[in-house]
Amino acid sequence: MSNLNADETVVVVRDVCKEFHRDQLTIPVLSGINLELSTGDYLALMGPSGSGKTTLLNLIAGLDRPTSGDVIVCGQNLGQSSEGELSKWRSRHVGFIFQMYNLIPVLTAYENVELPLTLTSLSRRDRDDHVKAALEVVGLQDRMDHYPRQLSGGQEQRVAIARAIVTDPTLLVADEPTGDLDAKSAAEILDLMHRLNTEKEFRKTIVMVTHDPNAADRARRILHLEKGLLVSEVTDNRTRATVQ
Amino acid sequence: MKTFKYIWRNIRRNPIRSLLTIMSVGFSLALMTVLYGFLESQETRKNSAAQANRIVVMNIQGFSGRLPISCVDEVRSTKFVAAAVPFAWFGGSYQDEQMPFAQFATDPESVFDVWPEYTIPPEQLEAFKTNRQGCVLDRRIAERRGWKVGDRVPLKGAIYPFDLDLEISGIFDSPKNTDSLYFHWDYLNEGLRQQDYANIDNSGTIFARISSPDSIPTVIKSIDDKYGSSDTPTRSQTEAAFFQMFVDMLGNVQVLIRNIGLAVVFSLSLVTANSMAMAMRERVTEIAVLKAIGFPRSRVLFMVLGEACTIAMLGGFLGVGMGCLFLQGMNRLMPQFFPFTVMEMLGPWIGYGLIAAAVLGLISGIVPAIRAAQMSVIDGLRRIA
Ligand SMILES: Nc1ncnc2c1ncn2[C@@H]1O[C@H](COP(=O)(O)OP(=O)(O)OP(=O)(O)O)[C@@H](O)[C@H]1O
Ligand SMILES: [Mg+2]
Repeated sequence: MSNLNADETVVVVRDVCKEFHRDQLTIPVLSGINLELSTGDYLALMGPSGSGKTTLLNLIAGLDRPTSGDVIVCGQNLGQSSEGELSKWRSRHVGFIFQMYNLIPVLTAYENVELPLTLTSLSRRDRDDHVKAALEVVGLQDRMDHYPRQLSGGQEQRVAIARAIVTDPTLLVADEPTGDLDAKSAAEILDLMHRLNTEKEFRKTIVMVTHDPNAADRARRILHLEKGLLVSEVTDNRTRATVQ
Repeated sequence: MKTFKYIWRNIRRNPIRSLLTIMSVGFSLALMTVLYGFLESQETRKNSAAQANRIVVMNIQGFSGRLPISCVDEVRSTKFVAAAVPFAWFGGSYQDEQMPFAQFATDPESVFDVWPEYTIPPEQLEAFKTNRQGCVLDRRIAERRGWKVGDRVPLKGAIYPFDLDLEISGIFDSPKNTDSLYFHWDYLNEGLRQQDYANIDNSGTIFARISSPDSIPTVIKSIDDKYGSSDTPTRSQTEAAFFQMFVDMLGNVQVLIRNIGLAVVFSLSLVTANSMAMAMRERVTEIAVLKAIGFPRSRVLFMVLGEACTIAMLGGFLGVGMGCLFLQGMNRLMPQFFPFTVMEMLGPWIGYGLIAAAVLGLISGIVPAIRAAQMSVIDGLRRIA
């Protein structure tokens, strides 16, 4: 276990096991995972299909609860929180980026980004400021009135990133964020995530699942999952990343 | 509000499906509105009759039975009777129209004493009394057909082998549309006598106004007792009971229609529920995303219910609106069956119709809404791949 300052620890995963039950069958997916992330960490999770990457990401993001062990994120013990508490907690602390962007097709880019803010008590004007600032970060301010179908895949993913950061969460989780993009758009997304991780005003802690070694190289740490276990770790990957 | 905008966009996402659902709710509620309107108009007629101290005397066998004209004078001489007139249905056709409006053979001297709530200028009433071929009619008929005093109204006999050639002596006003024309009973009777018609000197029915409501039972009893053992035993009843007879002729139709109404609302809720369930199935991932970013269950529930209710309410407004327009048209075209205005017929039903629509929305939305609210986020997101 590393010796990090308690304030800075964002994610603690301790002896986590996760099984799914289908009919009478028990499917063990994660069997004893330990992991810590502190503010400003950028972790890439790799591993073969079915190794449990998404499952682990969902646990860290508070979408699911472990079968045993503890998941403590931003001070909240997620395994002991109710569904309602988790939902509230997610809206405050986590931004989601999905492989298929998952924008709401009937809402414009602006409205999609505004969506998480409708859960807050912010005034209309404050919401407007936040939405425009977030769209500016991803460079799509001029596209705010467009609907998702009027945008390219890369642009959609940038809007999704704006939606993920608009509430200024501590943690960003991304499940194969470049999995559906061409190389150029993928590079833009990775650059954007790099900025969100490194620039002082953001300093987001990021957990990204990816199959793409180039994408993983941009992270500070790479973890490999195999058959429910963490098998290898590459730390301080940053030097390589910045050289590229 | 933001949420409502989102709900509205979701409704417009599949406009054909939403429109079909709205229209199926709309047409069914329109049908219900018309049926209820018809039933309610019967009720309204009965209730307004209950306020008048009038009785109706007829042959115990009903309308086909005979009631000699001599009865009228005997009813008049009964204690507590303020006025009485013969009142015989003529049912003639006007030009090509089979049932243009109601026509009654009656006594011009007393008809406005039996119905004191109808008003007519005195000189017109005087002209009516003195002109054997004169008639008076409801202002609504005159206005609809552009008729004035002095115009001639030829009516071809349908029940009787005698045609009337009437001249309008006057136009009367009444609180409710009577859609009626009154003419001299003597004129009809003389005409029939000349045709050697068998059933002459028949007053049809007798309408009588009683001086006080308390004496109505006494009057009814004394009339029916008097004729009980004659050739033409009578059945007397209040005007309200008389109209109730028409309602009773519909028998259990009333109950039937009300039950059909419930069944329609129920089956419509299945239609709406099905279309909501389809919409939700298409949006599983989207709902999962909303829940992932922190939308609480209550909010998801509210959104789905809101969508179902909006669709049902749009159908409700459409249906009640179409029903009202239809009834208004019927009131104008067939006032003898729909004598009341839409508001008189439907007042409370307009509210019930919209409430029914709202309930329909809630019933049809509740299952899809609960399912959406309870759906597992991770299962919803797994649908992506
Ligand atoms: N809700 C669930 N119910 C049952 N089994 C599940 C569930 N979620 C995941 N699994 C199983 O857990 C295992 C790991 O799934 P997971 O999605 O975490 O893998 P992954 O590493 O993300 O794979 P991929 O790279 O294909 O996305 C798989 O065998 C999967 O079938
Ligand atoms: Mg996965």
